[in-house]
Amino acid sequence: MKQLAGLLLVLALAVRVSAAGPAPTAVSNAQPILDDLQHKMSSVTSVYLEFTQERHYPNLSDAPFTSGGVMLIDRPDQIRWETTSPFQSILLGNQKSVAQFEFQDGKWKKLDLGFNDVLKRVMQQMSLMNQGKLDALTADYRISAATNTSFIILTLVPKDENVRSLLPSLEIHLLPDLSATREVVMHENATDYTSIVFSNEVRGAKFPDGTFDQTKPLDIAAVKAAIKHAP
Amino acid sequence: MRHNCAVIIALVILAAGCSTAPQKTAAPLVHPTWSFPSDARITERAILTARGKEYPLNGFLASSETGGLRLVVTEGFGQVLADVLVTTNGDVHVMRSSRLFRPKWIHHYVATDLLCVFGRPPLADPAVTMPDTNHFVIQRRWYSVDLRVVQVEPGPQPSNRFDPTLREAP
Repeated sequence: MKQLAGLLLVLALAVRVSAAGPAPTAVSNAQPILDDLQHKMSSVTSVYLEFTQERHYPNLSDAPFTSGGVMLIDRPDQIRWETTSPFQSILLGNQKSVAQFEFQDGKWKKLDLGFNDVLKRVMQQMSLMNQGKLDALTADYRISAATNTSFIILTLVPKDENVRSLLPSLEIHLLPDLSATREVVMHENATDYTSIVFSNEVRGAKFPDGTFDQTKPLDIAAVKAAIKHAP
Repeated sequence: MRHNCAVIIALVILAAGCSTAPQKTAAPLVHPTWSFPSDARITERAILTARGKEYPLNGFLASSETGGLRLVVTEGFGQVLADVLVTTNGDVHVMRSSRLFRPKWIHHYVATDLLCVFGRPPLADPAVTMPDTNHFVIQRRWYSVDLRVVQVEPGPQPSNRFDPTLREAP
């Protein structure tokens, strides 16, 4: 489950990436990039992102299985990850608690979540990351960087052998100025991977009341409308 | 956190370990009336309940008239928990397992539940009901699954997806 934490931490960095451009060249020292990223993230108070998640299992299907949704982060510690297609699910978290809802039979049902403790820890780490505190990442991952003219790729390799056996590496594809992350890629083995491509990022979004409510979260349509009509 | 995860995994495995095979009954069973395309790619969303806790899962199924059924089960962010192939002659092959879904449990329970919903014809089992179209409830002694078919993409599936020799070590 630590790999899940890694993924969410990476997502909390919130940017966009593309795989376009020439082959990247390894950077001998990733620390300046991490420092710059930390500096930039420390000024971000909130972010709204839409995502497309593609699960690639070539042993099962040539085409990826695709889902879509939104991710919202609001300082100091509120996070909402919502899948909107092909099913509807909301994962909410902060430093104290997590909640997951499934849309079933025309209404939202709150789950008695089995991963509660694990997810709470994940959310705590996400909160740290959202405040630009990268220590959590460097403690758990070896981080390397590669660049070309189109993007920066941060590659995270779990230090723990058991975690690494489940998740060999994560890649974060960032725009060269670190202003946005376009894609996160989780490599599971030589063939299987999941990519999450971000779009329509809004930084400094003002989320309406109820957006992160763990009892009755505000409908995502209302959240989107509020962001769209914000001054 | 790894410790917490291990505890959860252990609980789920224990719960699964206490499960029984599909209940046998002397009463004649009514064969299920639902069906899915013989050749299709099907996406599922499921909530596994074990010991009172709920675990959201995703299922990705390749169904072939000539090859059989191949199901990949993942957690929400894509990590594969189980990969099982049931060939047309009924042989079960665990193509991939995980700490959450051990090979024995995939073989006995995931494969059985798979055949109860997507078999051709589906296995008759009183533990499996369909309250609504594309909505199935599997109620075993120690676990239950609320399964929703969320996407069906008809079409032939490549034959090599159903080759049991092309598997990773379970």
